[in-house]
Amino acid sequence: MNAAGGPAPGGAVAGAPADDAAWSGVTVRSRAPKLRTVLGLAKADAWLLSRSVLILVGLLAGGAIIYVYAHPEQALWWNVAWQIGYGQVFIAMAVLVTAQLAAGRPSRNAMADLYASFPTSAATRTLGQLVGLLGAMPASLLLIGGTAAAVVLTGVIGFPSIWALAAGLLLVIAAGAVGIAIGRRFPHPLAGVLGALVLFVPFSQSNRFGGPIIWLYPWIKPDQLDYMPGPVAGYPPVGAHAAELAGIAVLAGLVALAVTASGARAKSVLAIAAILSLAATCLAGAAQLRAIPTADLNRLVQASVNPVSAQQCTTLGQARYCLYPDFGPELTSIQAPVNAVLTSLPVRPARQLTVAQVAVVSPDSTLTHGHPESQVSRWNAELNAGPGSGGGTASTIYLPVNVPPSDARFFLAMTAGEWAAGFPTTLSNSEGPQCLPYDQAREAIAIWLALLATHTPAAQLQSGLGAKGQDFVPLSPQGIFVPVWTYPGETVANLYSYAPQPTIAGYLLASAMTTLPEQRVSQVLKSSWSRWVNWQTTDEQLAAALGIPMPAVPQAPGPAPSGNQPGAASACTGSTDGA
Amino acid sequence: MTLNVLAGDVRVEGLSRRYGSTRALDEASFTMERGTTGLLGPNGAGKTTLLSILATINEPDAGRVSVFGLDPRHASQRVEIRRQLGYLPQELGYHRHFTVAEFLNYVAILKEITNRRTRAEEVARVLAAIGLERRAKARIRTLSGGMRQRLGIAQALLGRPNLLILDEPTGGLDPEQRLRFRELLSSLPGDPVIVLSTHQAEDIAAICSHVVVLLQGRVQFSGTPSELATIAADKVWVAPQRDTRAYLSWRGGDNRWRHIGEHPPTSAELVAPTVEDGYLLLSHAAGAQ
Repeated sequence: MNAAGGPAPGGAVAGAPADDAAWSGVTVRSRAPKLRTVLGLAKADAWLLSRSVLILVGLLAGGAIIYVYAHPEQALWWNVAWQIGYGQVFIAMAVLVTAQLAAGRPSRNAMADLYASFPTSAATRTLGQLVGLLGAMPASLLLIGGTAAAVVLTGVIGFPSIWALAAGLLLVIAAGAVGIAIGRRFPHPLAGVLGALVLFVPFSQSNRFGGPIIWLYPWIKPDQLDYMPGPVAGYPPVGAHAAELAGIAVLAGLVALAVTASGARAKSVLAIAAILSLAATCLAGAAQLRAIPTADLNRLVQASVNPVSAQQCTTLGQARYCLYPDFGPELTSIQAPVNAVLTSLPVRPARQLTVAQVAVVSPDSTLTHGHPESQVSRWNAELNAGPGSGGGTASTIYLPVNVPPSDARFFLAMTAGEWAAGFPTTLSNSEGPQCLPYDQAREAIAIWLALLATHTPAAQLQSGLGAKGQDFVPLSPQGIFVPVWTYPGETVANLYSYAPQPTIAGYLLASAMTTLPEQRVSQVLKSSWSRWVNWQTTDEQLAAALGIPMPAVPQAPGPAPSGNQPGAASACTGSTDGA
Repeated sequence: MTLNVLAGDVRVEGLSRRYGSTRALDEASFTMERGTTGLLGPNGAGKTTLLSILATINEPDAGRVSVFGLDPRHASQRVEIRRQLGYLPQELGYHRHFTVAEFLNYVAILKEITNRRTRAEEVARVLAAIGLERRAKARIRTLSGGMRQRLGIAQALLGRPNLLILDEPTGGLDPEQRLRFRELLSSLPGDPVIVLSTHQAEDIAAICSHVVVLLQGRVQFSGTPSELATIAADKVWVAPQRDTRAYLSWRGGDNRWRHIGEHPPTSAELVAPTVEDGYLLLSHAAGAQ
């Protein structure tokens, strides 16, 4: 050992000055192990990501949010594929936080010096971590696979959009890349949490935003998808959105690399690449702001205003069923309760019943942006005359596309029964009072037919009696409160807010009728069908004819205001010539 | 690659480094060859700064370093130095949610041990070397402070480095672990250059073939431990009473006072100096300057 440069007391030996030739006498050959190092790091980071508890929580939250939004509705692939993205938002948030934590780990854990002593550069580590984001894919794919399996098992309409599903995966990757970029620059754990919130806020506040700009946010909840009769190109603009997310992922990755890269040349290359990816991202953003072609919107409006014109109709038994092209597989489920009612009818109707789907589309600015105001007004006017606004056709039952046939089973049977018993299935497009079949025997007949057709469990039927035993609706001008009954699936049929509101008296009488032999009831009804479906024939008269006592009906707490009161229902009068 | 090993495997010449107005290193020069070199000095003497420069993670303001003939000022040579390097920083945090094996595996990748089988063997080797093989699957957060320190040493040993820089490696180790650590360093294959920074003079005496004393950023001594002890020859004595002429005095277990000073009394009972005595004398002299 030699030493020099400092005072060397005692026996210290001064070192010889360095020979310049000896300072750099080695020619270094690069072993170029970068690729294998990157892959090794990627594998390690991917493993850490894939077993992250945070990502597992994100997956569970994502699954839950999809269930909450998708479960009550008819599964439509053009809607479900985008709804899977709701769940991906939660995975993306978890991945963003996890990646940020991982990227900031050396600084936070006081290991920056150690890491700096390794031959692997920070940029190589960053690259490995970026590739390691593939470790988030199992969670993301599991969400897609799980949702797909669930909707396929329960019945789904249409075909999945690969672009929408890919965009969900890209959202997760982009969030991870952003997390790495944040973590490389800001290692504090809160930085990742803030990043996740920036991702979450636009998603959770989708209803506050309007116009096509919503597509530029990472992921949002559009209002119209579940009411669409089929996929509409450009709503959402899934291809361009996937491109935008890919651009963001690349851009964030380049930023992360730039933060850690050393050398002017490397930084220049990264800067050029970042500019290019930014340009590509902007182009993808601009593509999402393009107007949906007029022809496509015309088709959508027509499919809503005049559904049958866009549907395929089939006559089965005594009714015609008109479904949008993608909904063919639902025909069996839709016709079963209707056919069961028509088969049980004591007297065949003279006219044919039509059951048609309807799409209740609202031409909001996410759909109509880029089109002149006059055109939008025309579409609005057309839609206001459509069945979705109460402008339907008599003898037609309209079923919204977002209502699963299983949920609409009783609704279909009930409306078929009402039609058969002489109630108009669709009232005029008016803001008039709700119709109440108070003390009308035909109501009990309609309910009895629905009960026979569906065999609905008693518990479900009785749950519609009201939370506290009964709900009352004031009947004007009689000035009484009438206890009403909500049948299973009634709320899904929101198109029919002016349709007859069943009463508890009708339900109780119909229930009593089911205790009698079906043939006996049919004979009584058949003997004087026109009388029973007359709106002036009372429950008492029907009960007497059947030889059963009129069931006790809950009494109102007091008299209702007399005269025509706002919000009060009126009696359902008149009949169709359906019988 | 094959290194052109020069006389003086690691050479430091005129190394200076400032942090603001503080001079951490002041024209430090010395060379190191194969074997264990102890770096001795009080807190703030510049040991960690010197080691961080040797580990290529810090750059000097002036002076130069050569490691196996490689100059860390050139990026490619700096990387090559790092390929030869095992480094244990003074303060090392850990990824506490990693398991022991995961952490070592990760570091092995960062050390470019890319072959999976080789990496697994290397991880197993260092785990066995530090006696943590039974805790391979334990999370780091469950390890004691001493175990973590051993883990830090283990990561430095990965890849059989030719230059092993250990900054305060025995801090947190119990006496038995310190002895095992000495055994470990003594049995490292390949005869690497080991630089060991420590406050423990007895570690230096026990395992170092060379010692460098750094005081106030300057190299005050460079030589063998016995040469360092020799500095205190005829300057250490024992007496029943405390002698105020001594620079340092303390009462030993035998109730007699041990003194270190330049001028022992003529009747003094001189005793054989230790490395610690030499270091204390140097330290006192530097403080007086």
